[in-house]
Amino acid sequence: MDNFEKYIQENRHLFDDQKADKQKIWQNIESNLDNTKVIYLWNLSGLKIAATILVLVGVFSITGLFITSEFNQSEQNEIVHQELKDIDIYYKNLVSFQVQLVNNHPKLKPENKKEFLSFMDELDKDYEILKLEMTKNLNNEYILEAIVNNYKKRIELIENLLEQINDSKKSTDNESYIL
Amino acid sequence: METNILHTHKDLVEKSKSGDRKSQYQLYELYVDAMYNISFRMLGTKEDAEDIIQDSFAEAFKKLKTFRYESTFGSWLKRIVINKSINHLNLKKIPISPIGQYEHKISEETSEPLQVFDINKIKNGIKILPNGYREIINLYLIEGYDHIEISEILGITISTSKSQYHRAKKKLIEIVNTLEYNG
Repeated sequence: MDNFEKYIQENRHLFDDQKADKQKIWQNIESNLDNTKVIYLWNLSGLKIAATILVLVGVFSITGLFITSEFNQSEQNEIVHQELKDIDIYYKNLVSFQVQLVNNHPKLKPENKKEFLSFMDELDKDYEILKLEMTKNLNNEYILEAIVNNYKKRIELIENLLEQINDSKKSTDNESYIL
Repeated sequence: METNILHTHKDLVEKSKSGDRKSQYQLYELYVDAMYNISFRMLGTKEDAEDIIQDSFAEAFKKLKTFRYESTFGSWLKRIVINKSINHLNLKKIPISPIGQYEHKISEETSEPLQVFDINKIKNGIKILPNGYREIINLYLIEGYDHIEISEILGITISTSKSQYHRAKKKLIEIVNTLEYNG
């Protein structure tokens, strides 16, 4: 490096002799940034859509994987579930058939019918709640037990009613005898 | 020193990255004069320099997220200003390297040493230099880039950068000496 170069490098700061019009330049920069912000956001929204689609595709494929793996895992559960469903439908039909029988029975008093049906409705409500619980957690013993109890109560109710019918039959028979 | 500069502005740079206008203005205020001078030296007019500075800061803030502290913020910004100034000159079709025009004249002359060291005369001398020579004198002597960096900035080989710098320096000394005689 010669003296000339040294001299310039030592006095570099003296070359900065201009003053920028700060406010004017900043205004232009700011308006430039604001303008491009709109474009930027627009681009961003495009990006967002693309990203959302990507995420959705990702979520679907992951849940798809999850579901299939879950399905494989719960194949046994599925069989148990199916069996339970069959039993459930069988009893349900049986109960509803008997309810229908009771309902149509001519020899029952309307109050007894009403009482019986209201009990049955209550048990129906309980049963629906239990069924919901069961879909949430099939393996819960308490729920299964409660469902069985629910059926038992229905059957009990129907048996009681049948007894009443038979009693009333007997009594009417007796009456006829008396008469 | 270098690391201090990095640290003192890191906070401002980070805030500016997230679009904080106040921090952006603070950064702008710190650097605008230095950058304006660089561009003014390259382009020679107030209007051109202002245009380039506006563009440079706007671009710098927009792509600030790509700034990874591999250099100081100042030298990163300076590079943007330099590149934009060079592009501007190219767009104006001002030949950056008029080597052929001056090559023979200068190589025939014997190099004289500078007679009087006067910064104002040197400044004036640089202004009078042909564009290509002024460019390389600015980049090498005043902006402090080495020939490798200059070769990247101007898109020339390192040896071209070296040889052109030497021609430019000779020419500058010659001009400054003439100014001395005239003054």
